Amino acid sequence: MMAPTWLELLDETVRVCATHGRSDLIEWLQQKRAQLVDPRLRVLVMGEPKQGKSQLINALVNASVCPVGDGVTTTMPTIVHHAEAPSATLVRTAVPTQGRSNGALVAQPERIPLSMEQITAGVSTNAPYRPGVAASTHLEVGVPRGLLASGLVLIDTPGTDDQDPVRNASIFAALARADTVLMVTDATRELSVSELNLLLHVGQSHTNVIVVLSKIDMSPDWRAVAERNRRHIASAGAQATLIPVSAALRLQAARAGDEAMNAESGFPELIARLMRDQTAKSDVLARTSVGQVTRTVVEQLAAPLRAELAVAESPEMSGPISRLQEAQRAVDDLRRRTTKWQNTLNDEMADLMSDIEYDLRDRTRLILRKVDEAFDEADPLSGWDTFRDWLEENLAEAAEANFDWMVQRLDWITHQVASNFARYGSDVLPGWSIKVPDDLADRVPAIEKPTIEKFTPTQKVFTALRGSYGGLLMFGMATTFAGLPLVNPVSIGAGALFGGKSIFDESKSLLKRRQAAAKTAAQRHVDDFFIRLSKDSRDTARQVHRMLRDHFAELTEQLQAAIVESFRSAKQEADALTAAREQRRQAIDQMAQRLAVLVEEAQEVSAGRGGALRARLESRL
Amino acid sequence: MRPGAPLGESVWELLHQALNLYRDDPHAAAVLHHHLSRFEQPLRIAVAGPWRSGKSTLVNAIMGEEVAPVEGEDGRQVFTWYEDGPTPEVTAYTADGSARELAVTRSAGGMRVDLGGWQSDQAADVVVKWPTRALRHATLVDTPAVTSGAENDGNPIMDRILREADAVLYLTRDARSSDLGFLHAAQEGGVARSAPINMLLVLARADEIGGGRVDALQTAKQLARRQYRDPEVNSLCMGVVALGGLVALAGRVLTESDYAPLAALAAMPRAELEGLLLSADRFVSTQLPAPVGAEARRALLGRLGIFGVRLATTLVRTGCDSRAKLAAELVRRSGLTELRESMGRYFTDRADVLRARSALVVLESVLRQHFRPGSRELLAWVEYLQSTTHDFRELRLLAALQDPQLGFDAERTAEAQRLVGGNGVDLTARLGADPDASAAELWELSSYALHRWQHHAEDPVRNLAQRRAAGVVVRSCEAMLVRLSAR
Repeated sequence: MMAPTWLELLDETVRVCATHGRSDLIEWLQQKRAQLVDPRLRVLVMGEPKQGKSQLINALVNASVCPVGDGVTTTMPTIVHHAEAPSATLVRTAVPTQGRSNGALVAQPERIPLSMEQITAGVSTNAPYRPGVAASTHLEVGVPRGLLASGLVLIDTPGTDDQDPVRNASIFAALARADTVLMVTDATRELSVSELNLLLHVGQSHTNVIVVLSKIDMSPDWRAVAERNRRHIASAGAQATLIPVSAALRLQAARAGDEAMNAESGFPELIARLMRDQTAKSDVLARTSVGQVTRTVVEQLAAPLRAELAVAESPEMSGPISRLQEAQRAVDDLRRRTTKWQNTLNDEMADLMSDIEYDLRDRTRLILRKVDEAFDEADPLSGWDTFRDWLEENLAEAAEANFDWMVQRLDWITHQVASNFARYGSDVLPGWSIKVPDDLADRVPAIEKPTIEKFTPTQKVFTALRGSYGGLLMFGMATTFAGLPLVNPVSIGAGALFGGKSIFDESKSLLKRRQAAAKTAAQRHVDDFFIRLSKDSRDTARQVHRMLRDHFAELTEQLQAAIVESFRSAKQEADALTAAREQRRQAIDQMAQRLAVLVEEAQEVSAGRGGALRARLESRL
Repeated sequence: MRPGAPLGESVWELLHQALNLYRDDPHAAAVLHHHLSRFEQPLRIAVAGPWRSGKSTLVNAIMGEEVAPVEGEDGRQVFTWYEDGPTPEVTAYTADGSARELAVTRSAGGMRVDLGGWQSDQAADVVVKWPTRALRHATLVDTPAVTSGAENDGNPIMDRILREADAVLYLTRDARSSDLGFLHAAQEGGVARSAPINMLLVLARADEIGGGRVDALQTAKQLARRQYRDPEVNSLCMGVVALGGLVALAGRVLTESDYAPLAALAAMPRAELEGLLLSADRFVSTQLPAPVGAEARRALLGRLGIFGVRLATTLVRTGCDSRAKLAAELVRRSGLTELRESMGRYFTDRADVLRARSALVVLESVLRQHFRPGSRELLAWVEYLQSTTHDFRELRLLAALQDPQLGFDAERTAEAQRLVGGNGVDLTARLGADPDASAAELWELSSYALHRWQHHAEDPVRNLAQRRAAGVVVRSCEAMLVRLSAR
């Protein structure tokens, strides 16, 4: 016989899960598969506390298999199944500890046989309890009943409680293995919000949910309650049929053998529904169940894929792409900075040169003014040596101050240019620094002594004679008229007076000439000094300019090399990533295609058709 | 403020100080004024609970008349205040404060109110004045259903109940943790938490336990006792009382015309009657033979419920052969007697303590919400009262004494209950003396009691709970001696 279509679909779903590496889903699916292949119908009875869940089961099998009490009684799931003779077992499974969850290491469940009396008395209170073992416990009760013989298994659960997650967890664990869910709610009131929430929750994983309205014997207006409950269920969007029953009537009918009362209890309808479910299990139920399971699985598998696609399409802010953008920005930045530092350097150097020259000129002019003033009064003949020393000292000082300033300015310029590279680290300054040369004073040439005309005694005598001659002759001639000889005391006196005057005049003009010569000599010397010095400083500045330019150019080149290198690697990475992403996207597309096929088939199978899974897969992929 | 003053006086003074502090804040001042005026009014007991938990039935059962519920055409309920008054009178108040008198139709066992086309969402409150003894000492408040919907923003109805009422009867089917969770959340503030003396938990619809067996109410009483021992429940309320609301109400308003069909039913052969009583459907069906018409049976079912009919017929058969006897027995069995005793002992006898407590709770929340310089000092006083007030502890002990698990023998339990004011808060009632006993006799009695209970408080044989309880009794004896010496 060929495997049913739903089985094929389920197996394909398992294979898809395997390609996605979802072992958790596979485990769940395998469990589901085993459960669906199993011909028995597992009916889970759940609901809030004190709704009559246990009594419902007791009434279904007409035996007291589940303890019923006035307070909250049921404390552990109870599985009621068919057996030749009544039997009861407490099954305790040690919960696998973390890290050793693979099958071989899970302890075998411990089975403790109990008597039926213990069951009805309520096992929870007197069950042997072993401390220290985290265990999940349930009861298994076998009773010989025709209803169960066909493979119906009833599972009683403790009441759900919003505030008790541990208990709820055990209920939902049992829920996972159930084929049909009976949710019990009593007829004395309508469905509460929490009950509706529970119903919706169950509806997500189970297609076959029946709401059992219990205790209808107690409520005079149960028909109204049932009607309103149906409306609540419909408006909440849940899929469930509502069957009103009365366990008390059913038990009483069984005791009295009253068929009419049994019919009144509403149980025949419930039982008929359960039997129908069971015969339908391998077909309709299994198909809808697999359809739902497949859709759930596909949803779970598709969610991460969708998320991945969404991430891939959104602009990436980290990883290789952002590194590439970063590198690009760095390259641009460096280029901008290169122009900037070159401009800075050139401008500053030009400024420096003109400033230095002006400064030097200013200083020398000041010196010259002082020299002029000095030689207006002084006689170079007597003070030349002092003057020379003074001049040399002043010039040397001026040269030094000028150089000092230049060095400072150069240093400042260096820092100014270096500040453009501040973000690339601290060692951007050149390793050398400019100093004021020590031999600056020696570079100043020695001043030449100007030729100084001295007033020698011979010249004096000669000049005196030349001057006295005129006077002697003039006064001699005049006195001749007075009868005096040409040479007489008056003429001799006048001659002496005249001679003295000529000596005085001559020496005065000689001093003027000496002063002029000294001034000229000093001017020439200072000019020399200025030319020499300004050439020197200009040279120095130009040299430093060149050195700075070389240094920073080299630095720029190094930086550029590093940045370009990182840019290149980032680009490679980004390219690789884009390629990988594209590849991944194709893979995702393919997976999505396969999932889509699964969903289609699931719909087909749910609707009772299907079977073309293979062909469809082949045509699509 | 002086330490040691009676609680009521201290709270009165604190409220005045707070009023002085908040005289420029109209909202806070209005709240404080409201609570000052409540000192003069009867105690307010609210009946609260989820939808269809039996609130109105309980209100009716307590009043002994069928006056509740007052509800709009859409079935929505409003806060309904039942006050004592000379003539029946119903006034509806809207949210904006305008009032309107409503027409009242007196029916056989009570009244029916015609909301006269008023939509219930317009009416904020309905005040019913009704001449009855049950309302002399307390105002009853029937409240809309407390739904546990949104969890985070609190529960507006429960908040209002706790704000407006001095004491609460909280009705629950089974005291499940979801119910308790939001009761805990509603008890906000230090005073409210440390003195949970304003609440009685009522296991309403106790008659439905165990499928409505005849002994359901007995079982329910055991369940209630077990519930009370649960620390989560215990820390919340003064007691848990099981109540069969329908049975109680039926007992209060049972008429001869109700009794007659019950007697007729009880006279049926037992097997036949049992068959009839198997389910509500069968009881009113016309198919089965019965000595009473289907219409009368339907009325009985509506009045008593299927459990009530089962119980009443059994009672009639076992000796309650008159209307009065049956009514008394129904009331006794329903748990109503116990509930009214508890209400008297914990609520109306201690009305001043409860009023002071609700004033303190409100004062604390006002001080915390509108914090300003000076609030801190008043808060310190609130805390002082909260931690030193002996009445709170007396009341808690009174509740604890109801539980036989405390382990005192009957005599000592009775004595402790008397000394802490369980039989009345007068000195003579506490000491069990003649009303006209002389001061010297009272002095002797109380010093003797003090001595004895000091011994219990230090007895190493007794367990911690007992020693603590004895300590509270000692403190009560000391307080009596102080009052005697002040005379």
